[in-house]
Amino acid sequence: MVRRKRSDEDFAEEIQAHLQLEADELKSEGMGEDEARRRARVEFGNVRGVEERFHLRGRVAWFDNLVRDVRYGVRGALRNPGFAFVAVLTLALAIGATTAIFSLLDQALLRALPVRDPERLVLLNSAGGHPGHWHSEGGSRPGHMYEFSYPMYRDLRDKNTVLRGLVASAPVEIGATWNNRGEVIPAELVSGNYFQTLGVRPAVGRLFVPSDETAPGANPVAVLSFDYWKTHLSEAPVLGRTLLINGTSFTVVGVAAPGFHSAVWGRMPAVFVPLTMQGVVEPEWSYLKDHRAYWIDLAGRLEDGVSAKQAEASLNALYLALRRAEFPLQTDQSEKERKGFIDNARLHVEAGAHGFSPLRGDVEKPLTIVMGMAVLLVGMAIVNVASLLLVRAAVRAREFSVRYSLGATSGQILRQLLVEGMLLGLGGAALGLLLAPRALHLLIQWMAGRSADEPVFSSSLDWRVLAFAAAATMGASLLFSLAPAVQFWNPRLMEVLRQQSVTGAGSAVRFRRACVALQIGFSLALIIGAGLFVRTIENLRRVDPGFATDRLVQFDLSPEMAGYALAAVPAVEQRALDALAALPGVKAVGATNDADLAGDDHSGDVKVSGYAAKPEDEEFDVELPWVSDGYLQTLGIPLVTGRYFSASDTASSTKVAIVNESFVRHYFANPGAALGQHVSRPARPATDAVIVGVVRDVKHTSVRDPATATCYTLFTQAEKPNGLRFYLRTWQAPDAAMQSIRSAVGAIDPKLVVADLGTMAEQIDDSISSERTIGLLAMAFGVLATVLAGIGLYGILAYSTAQRTREIGVRMALGAQRGSLVGLIVREVLILAGGSIVVTVPLAMLASRALRSELFGISFADPGVYAGGIVLIGLVAGLAAYIPARRAASVNPVDALRAE
Amino acid sequence: MTTPKSNDDRIALLQGTLDLLILKTLMMGSCHGQGIARIIQRQSEEVFFVDHGSLYLALQRLEDKKWISAKWGVSENNRKARYYTLTAKGRAQLLEKTSEWEKLTRAVGLILGGAGTGGEEA
Repeated sequence: MVRRKRSDEDFAEEIQAHLQLEADELKSEGMGEDEARRRARVEFGNVRGVEERFHLRGRVAWFDNLVRDVRYGVRGALRNPGFAFVAVLTLALAIGATTAIFSLLDQALLRALPVRDPERLVLLNSAGGHPGHWHSEGGSRPGHMYEFSYPMYRDLRDKNTVLRGLVASAPVEIGATWNNRGEVIPAELVSGNYFQTLGVRPAVGRLFVPSDETAPGANPVAVLSFDYWKTHLSEAPVLGRTLLINGTSFTVVGVAAPGFHSAVWGRMPAVFVPLTMQGVVEPEWSYLKDHRAYWIDLAGRLEDGVSAKQAEASLNALYLALRRAEFPLQTDQSEKERKGFIDNARLHVEAGAHGFSPLRGDVEKPLTIVMGMAVLLVGMAIVNVASLLLVRAAVRAREFSVRYSLGATSGQILRQLLVEGMLLGLGGAALGLLLAPRALHLLIQWMAGRSADEPVFSSSLDWRVLAFAAAATMGASLLFSLAPAVQFWNPRLMEVLRQQSVTGAGSAVRFRRACVALQIGFSLALIIGAGLFVRTIENLRRVDPGFATDRLVQFDLSPEMAGYALAAVPAVEQRALDALAALPGVKAVGATNDADLAGDDHSGDVKVSGYAAKPEDEEFDVELPWVSDGYLQTLGIPLVTGRYFSASDTASSTKVAIVNESFVRHYFANPGAALGQHVSRPARPATDAVIVGVVRDVKHTSVRDPATATCYTLFTQAEKPNGLRFYLRTWQAPDAAMQSIRSAVGAIDPKLVVADLGTMAEQIDDSISSERTIGLLAMAFGVLATVLAGIGLYGILAYSTAQRTREIGVRMALGAQRGSLVGLIVREVLILAGGSIVVTVPLAMLASRALRSELFGISFADPGVYAGGIVLIGLVAGLAAYIPARRAASVNPVDALRAE
Repeated sequence: MTTPKSNDDRIALLQGTLDLLILKTLMMGSCHGQGIARIIQRQSEEVFFVDHGSLYLALQRLEDKKWISAKWGVSENNRKARYYTLTAKGRAQLLEKTSEWEKLTRAVGLILGGAGTGGEEA
């Protein structure tokens, strides 16, 4: 109805008018005043009744009923607070956990970049040979290299006809100094058109424009990220202020809009700098004119009306032409190299709404696993609450029976049950959503470890996550409220129930058995998952990297970030080494440019004298760390033969190298044969060094990865200076050592920044943080599942055993022993559990097979974990059956028989 | 619902018939509820008993369907009253319902008139 509904008052007034008119008329027919009034009222009949009917007319009757059902449901819940509490808490835990995990999943995998029209963005990657220097933060795979050279970027950007804009970016760590306080922060080198093409607006000042991309090093300007400006500078006015980056003054021109971080999801740069300032930001490298340095990621915005496919065809033709023109610049121009460089080259264009992201690749699988476990937990909670409701509804059979006989329809009963279920669901969801942001916050902190960087994930829930939680709640509530509804969808309720309790058969009993079996199955699956991941963490923690990891303190020092000229860097580093070695309590000090167990990897191919490549064109990369003379001794890597580096190996003496056993195995017959041989980088004679020693293999990139062939050389003899990671073996407690490290380095130069100070043990924990996160959650879910299974099984078994009191009485009257009766009941449950286990174990194996890559040092079918899980769930089921069975069997048989 | 004891020979109205009678009454001009009740009762020679509550609900129903429109006004004897008027839509409905009703009564009359021949078989 368009018109406003007529009010009840208006209708009542009309009736009053009627009574008045009628009385007037009766009076005019000769009746007395009072008699006429009385008569009119009698003629009309039930005024209130009509008014009530008017009130209900057109009104949405179901809403009134709903209000009544809700009121009734709330009253029922308050009468039985224990039940309501358990049900709501169960749901809250499941919904809270799932919502928190879904929020992470949403942020990592589902959300588009916060830029204009993200669906028109595309990402570029290429196939083909990439000879030269490749600088990657991950995310590339064979045939899909996401890094391009700067000259290639400029050509692609300026010569294409299908993109409205093509932007480039690269991550970099910088030393930033504000008010004489230095720190190492993440930054991003970006093309001049970066912000314009992405459609990011400034919060303050201006962002870069294409003209900011000038001649190399000529335009020291910087844009701050909103978060950095807010957290580190408290939104102070910054326009025109000077920021020292690696000792060079940059002028701050603006702050980017809040919410924007980078075109690459997972990067959290504090500062943006034009790409053309690369040489200042990374003084040890000079990439801008190098066709053979692959280091920037590209993202394009499609021209209107151009599809990604059309863009790929057009860009690919351009790319191939550019590659052909580039080939003469290559050092190796053999036919084989030409084939790889030109014939196999191909440019791919893919959808880019979510942005390129190495981090996404890293978290996708762990998040999916954890989400899978959370979904299992929700399934578990549904079965749990369903069985609790079922038990409660069975107790309420008399109530329903009375309501049927008073004329309630099946539909009304069903509605009542659904409303009650929904109430529990809403209660659970409300509590769960209250818990979710907290849980999320804890989880994010946990994942960040001791990193001081801005976390990538945010703990606020957005509409998408809330919609998910609402959908999950509705679905779950519907499912678990239907369970008792199915049982009570019968007007001849009492009869049916009586029959069932006597015969111990019927749909209700089948349903109860299904609930028990499902609970056992779900919890067993979660316990097995928890077992596998907990064992994985244990194994990872127990891995022997080949050197002692205790009392090993580490930190990063990059003098070039404090403004030192490159030539002065090694001297500062040597001074730091000497100063630290002189500290009391320090046993040994060493440093490397290739941090251990940190996921780092500096590798390349080498030329080795006395070795003829077996396959004609062998490609074998070795790890090439530049270390200090005390590094190997500090870590405690045992010497196999020859000697360690020593203080007499200086910048001006003969260049020396030490290799490991894997290196020897590949290039030589035995360790002795390696001594005295020469090793160098191909076509770089200045790197030629003599092998003076062989050391044992140690793990390098991570505890998961096996040791690889390694060739250590001295940083003092290296081609160019580099920031180093320092290691100190101390007698002291780490905290005390860290204090003295800071003051010792500060004494050399207060501008020097001691970054990422921590212990090797913490480093190892950080390097397995994804496994630890899965493990922690898996364990939490496993424990929760066990507890839920205990509660759910106990509830349902207590009820069904109580129903059999009569049967038990008969058996006891006929001479059955108490113990054998308990055994009978427990055995029944265990047989059911056995059935469930037989079904669950293969399914769990199938699921964990898919997780193989995330496990370490344990088979997906580890018998110990499975047996442990089965024993645990068997114990829980047995106990849940034993307690009510004991109670039932201890009843006097005469009382039991009278119970009906 | 009330059943006045003194009027045993009155007939309760069939469902839907009341709507027809209201529309017919309003053909003669706008009228308030009490007037409509009186007219129906009088014109049916006091055979029909009009339940007043049902009448007002029926009026509301017809108003909702836009077959009649209502407006508060003042009666001849200066009393406040809600006056109902037939709309064009209501007029059309009245014609349709009247012909339906005539068909129905003829059919019922035919059956009742020849009831002796086949009535027992069912």
